Amino acid sequence: MRLLAIDSATSACSAALWAGGAVLARRHRPMARGQSEALVPMIAEVMADSGLSFADLDLLAVTVGPGAFTGIRIGLATARGLALAAGLPVAGITTTEAVAAAVPPAERGGRTVLVALDSKREDVWVQAFAPDLSALCPIQSLAPEAAAALVTGPALVVGDAAGRVLPLMTDALAADRPGWPDAAVVAALAARRWADGQALPPEPLYLRPADVTLPPAGPA
Amino acid sequence: MVILGIETSCDETAAAVVTDGRQILSNVVLSQLEEHRPFGGIVPEIAARAHLEHADRLVAEAMRRAGLAFSRLDAIAATGGPGLIGGVMVGVMTAKAIALAAGKPFLAVNHLEGHALTARLTHGLDFPYLLLLASGGHCQLLAVLGVGEYRRLGTTIDDAAGEAFDKVAKMLGLGYPGGPAVEKAAAAGNPARFALPRPMKGRPGCDFSFSGLKNAVRLLIEDLPKPLSERDAADVAAAFQAAVAESIADRTRNAIREVAERWPAARHLVVAGGVAANGALRETLMTVGGEGGMDFIAPPLNLCTDNAAMIAWAGIERFRLGLTDPLDFAPRPRWPLDPTAAKRGGAGVKA
Repeated sequence: MRLLAIDSATSACSAALWAGGAVLARRHRPMARGQSEALVPMIAEVMADSGLSFADLDLLAVTVGPGAFTGIRIGLATARGLALAAGLPVAGITTTEAVAAAVPPAERGGRTVLVALDSKREDVWVQAFAPDLSALCPIQSLAPEAAAALVTGPALVVGDAAGRVLPLMTDALAADRPGWPDAAVVAALAARRWADGQALPPEPLYLRPADVTLPPAGPA
Repeated sequence: MVILGIETSCDETAAAVVTDGRQILSNVVLSQLEEHRPFGGIVPEIAARAHLEHADRLVAEAMRRAGLAFSRLDAIAATGGPGLIGGVMVGVMTAKAIALAAGKPFLAVNHLEGHALTARLTHGLDFPYLLLLASGGHCQLLAVLGVGEYRRLGTTIDDAAGEAFDKVAKMLGLGYPGGPAVEKAAAAGNPARFALPRPMKGRPGCDFSFSGLKNAVRLLIEDLPKPLSERDAADVAAAFQAAVAESIADRTRNAIREVAERWPAARHLVVAGGVAANGALRETLMTVGGEGGMDFIAPPLNLCTDNAAMIAWAGIERFRLGLTDPLDFAPRPRWPLDPTAAKRGGAGVKA
């Protein structure tokens, strides 16, 4: 399986080329904005580093959210454009799973992994994973207090909103990981999910309707 | 030479394939009108979501209708701005990705340049010419001197013309979008019953203003019995439309004089943008052009409103001059055609 994975859904930007179970090339940069400029050159770089062409690939992978709406669209529009021109399928991976899977097994120990991501609002996006990384609940938008109450036992908190949830928990540690997805992790997850038929379609996971209010009823 | 164009800067998702022989091989447009109608205007986040949902499918459809594989294209062009940035990003990323995967050059096209060069696609016009660009987001008079070479003669200092139509339609309870609704109501109305101001008329220069006119309509409606009768609404719509047409005519006369003096080779007055669909305005401009010694040119309606054929064509105009853009191009919410023109307050500054 040879695949190209990309992520621009939160506060980082990355691209990785995965072949035969290993990362051949990878670019990753934390950035709050600017993914629309950085992403495609990063893809060109990992393609060049790997020596592969798009015709050599079997699959594309992309994070679908939750995250920044614009960032989600940058990644998905890119993945879907590549898919169209190269005739490749696309596997969607959630940002929460990508962030959880970045924590190595030794660090997880027997702890529940609680992923908390910035939603740019009062609530945070959260999802809890068992130590074997199976999801314990769907992705939810919760106030930090409610997010903290999701896990009763020992927990490991990770994600770019971890700092808002961690202080509210009694038996929790901060993961020694950056809180963003990494295309290299997304690639590994996508290879597995695709083989299992469990990948998501390349559709955005906004989890919140567009911020807009209906005008008051006027004449006619 | 064949170029794919992608347009996602406002509320239409569009893709088209055009040749340097001025042939439009395909031209598909998906309007988001129904998605925005409940809100009485364009909601940027809703627009951006709809662009992502449909952009790749429309590109595939444009390529299918053109009967071409991506490998047959010479380059990929997308609107790089100005416009609603969330939507612009979707089109730009789609185009960059296709360009990379197909190994073709990428071009970021100024949406306004797309409008400005359309008359060269439809009528094979030579430079220079005078352009009135009037839409929901813009109202400007430009001297079109060459590819990438524009002099702004005047712009709106507050609302765009199409914006004024939308707001007046709302006040009259005519619904959204306002342009066609006001024109339809005005057709049954008496433009002489109510007196409305002709903004900027008689003043030097070519700038526009529609905010005062909009407020005059508001005050006029306040004094009319409620609910508004069909007759009253029609007469207000007719008076408003006449005021807009007369104001634009006055500004355009000044622009024709200025162009005749500075660029005497110019022989054409070209109109572009959604407001160009207004029949009363077209008639007025034809007269004004004739009086000023200029032929009036209006591209077909589907090429006046937002479309991707104009983006593909502007891509061809740039590409055959050897111009391309790097894959780290940053989408531009603001992108004036004439960077030397002074900034003005209001909606027009976008351009």
